[in-house]
Amino acid sequence: MGCSGSLPDRNSGRLSGINGSESSGAPDAKNLRVKLVLLGDSGVGKSCIVLRFVRGQFDPTSKVTVGASFLSQTIALQDSTTVKFEIWDTAGQERYAALAPLYYRGAAVAVIVYDITSPESFNKAQYWVKELQKHGSPDIVMALVGNKADLHENREVPTQDGIEYAEKNGMFFIETSAKTADNINQLFEEIAKRLPRPSSTS
Amino acid sequence: MDPSSSSSAQSVTFYDFLDRMRNPASLDLVRSIKSFIVSFSFYTANPENDGKRVQEFYLTMEGAIRDHPLWVGATEEEIDSALEGLEKYVMTKLFSRTFSSTPEDVKIDQEIYEKICLLQTFLRPEHLDIPVVLQNEASWLLAEKELQKMNTVKAPREKLLCIMNCCRVISNLLLNASMSENMVLAGADDFLPVLIYVMIKASSPCLNYQKKFIDLDTWKSILANPPQLHSNLKFIQLYRRQTKLVSEAAYYFTNLVSAKTFVVDLNAKSLSIEEIEFEENMQAARLANKVPQVEVSSSSNDFKALGDVRGPGPSGRIHGDGIHTSGGYNYPFMEAEADDLTVGDVERLLRVYKDVVSKYTSLCRSVRHISLTKTVPSIPGSEGKNVLLTCPTEKSTSIDEKREDDRGSEKGLPGSPGPPGTANDDLEKGLPGSPRSANDDVQKESARS
Ligand SMILES: Nc1nc2c(ncn2[C@@H]2O[C@H](COP(=O)(O)OP(=O)(O)OP(=O)(O)O)[C@@H](O)[C@H]2O)c(=O)[nH]1
Ligand SMILES: [Mg+2]
Repeated sequence: MGCSGSLPDRNSGRLSGINGSESSGAPDAKNLRVKLVLLGDSGVGKSCIVLRFVRGQFDPTSKVTVGASFLSQTIALQDSTTVKFEIWDTAGQERYAALAPLYYRGAAVAVIVYDITSPESFNKAQYWVKELQKHGSPDIVMALVGNKADLHENREVPTQDGIEYAEKNGMFFIETSAKTADNINQLFEEIAKRLPRPSSTS
Repeated sequence: MDPSSSSSAQSVTFYDFLDRMRNPASLDLVRSIKSFIVSFSFYTANPENDGKRVQEFYLTMEGAIRDHPLWVGATEEEIDSALEGLEKYVMTKLFSRTFSSTPEDVKIDQEIYEKICLLQTFLRPEHLDIPVVLQNEASWLLAEKELQKMNTVKAPREKLLCIMNCCRVISNLLLNASMSENMVLAGADDFLPVLIYVMIKASSPCLNYQKKFIDLDTWKSILANPPQLHSNLKFIQLYRRQTKLVSEAAYYFTNLVSAKTFVVDLNAKSLSIEEIEFEENMQAARLANKVPQVEVSSSSNDFKALGDVRGPGPSGRIHGDGIHTSGGYNYPFMEAEADDLTVGDVERLLRVYKDVVSKYTSLCRSVRHISLTKTVPSIPGSEGKNVLLTCPTEKSTSIDEKREDDRGSEKGLPGSPGPPGTANDDLEKGLPGSPRSANDDVQKESARS
């Protein structure tokens, strides 16, 4: 399982080893640093979404960390604040499912992904929502993402189902395609807008 | 290659920190540090509490340093350097009080170590579905070495750095494979299994002994310092400055915690392996790690005779497959030449010799008994006994001794804060890395970057 065509370009980001100064960008109210975890069934496109976001957002001035599984990307918002997303990819195989709490502990954002062609993946997404409501940080921002929107002719989860479920659970909802890059940036921009802005966040 | 700042800056830092601490103007800071360290000897170890106290102390000292005349006009980086120096100093002093400080921690380390020793006898990358393109011996070895270094350094920052370096080797392996091998990058799906495998290999010296026949002294020193995975992780979690256990460092740290947790909970269902095969392998590994009392080399004629006469019976299973009779593991001198032996080996050699003779004698007695009565006797002492050097109780003391030898004694610390004039001297004497070893650090770290 991987993302054809979504390999990180050697020049677009720096390999993770080079990313030196985490200490310098001490987060403040104008420059947030947020931990984001991706959850969802195996194969729904989590890794592809991240790679698309990190690679697609090509801005030579922004500091990007492209590791194989930890990535970070900073986006600038209109109000001249910035948000640095630190994206924690999690292993999707069933044998690692029990380890998920280690990863989502302390996350400010959880992006829960399903595949619009797979009702099981939508069920699994609901499982993750409940799990996070029980064990996640109380003020966690959750987004529900129906991915692979480009495969609409095979759609099995109606958009309306996603919208309704998200609404009931106070989540932000969006359908994306990591393949065509459709709505990928919007996803992260919308999340950035919804982040709580206390005087100190980390 | 440092999680927080560039490596050369970091080593300069520690000198800088010590220099400033030797400056008479920083006497107040030195006093606070010393009395904090001394205060630890008044209480028994309580990891969670100790962790909180140390973290609070870091924060208090941060405030004091920011307001201090010696740091007037200092940049954020310089302040940060001072705090890194502080962490290294304090935690090296408190190391033996805080590292693996409770019996539970020792026990957990031992259990993980034993499980890993069993697993490494049969675990293959395929069991974790690691793609062949990622099975890169050279990269894995490098990653293992980075991880093993964690056992040789004391400061929380340095331990964390070992994890980072290990994980970066793996991460780069994945990135390179995806670029040159046309493999699609699967992120954490590939990263975690490789880390688990590397962690198991890095933590299982027993494998090396069996495969490569390393010399006995090396083997002994490895056994005296088994990897303390749990304690290392706990130590970093509790004593690394909280503001530094974030971002990429936190991610890789969490992955290693995750890998450890996976191994602790691991059963047949965790792997791509048949349940039966898994159980058989584990059982065989358990037997191989012991010296059963009844066992004699399978080439012995008496043994074969016994097998023939005895026929199938409950105890037949013990001998049935002969897996446990192999190798120099049970009878460590089988592979040795006379030249290999040292005077120090005599004691053990004698013990093994006596063991073999007494088994042989009782075996002969049994065989005679069988031929007289034609019944199957139960063989005495068949429960087996763990004779190997891995005896856990000896370990904890030898580690401490070893570590103190390695890194300058911690005994230079006075029992109470000394008179003002000597405080700075004490700081200097009691230093964790006196100039020479600090210098080693510089070289090691610049070699890494
Ligand atoms: N058509 C289409 N395919 C996609 C899209 N996103 C991902 N894929 C494909 O789906 C497969 C799985 O994608 P991954 O990103 O590896 O899925 P994942 O959620 O990270 O899976 P795990 O890591 O196993 O949990 C790959 O073959 C991708 O090429 C999409 O938006 N459209
Ligand atoms: Mg993935």
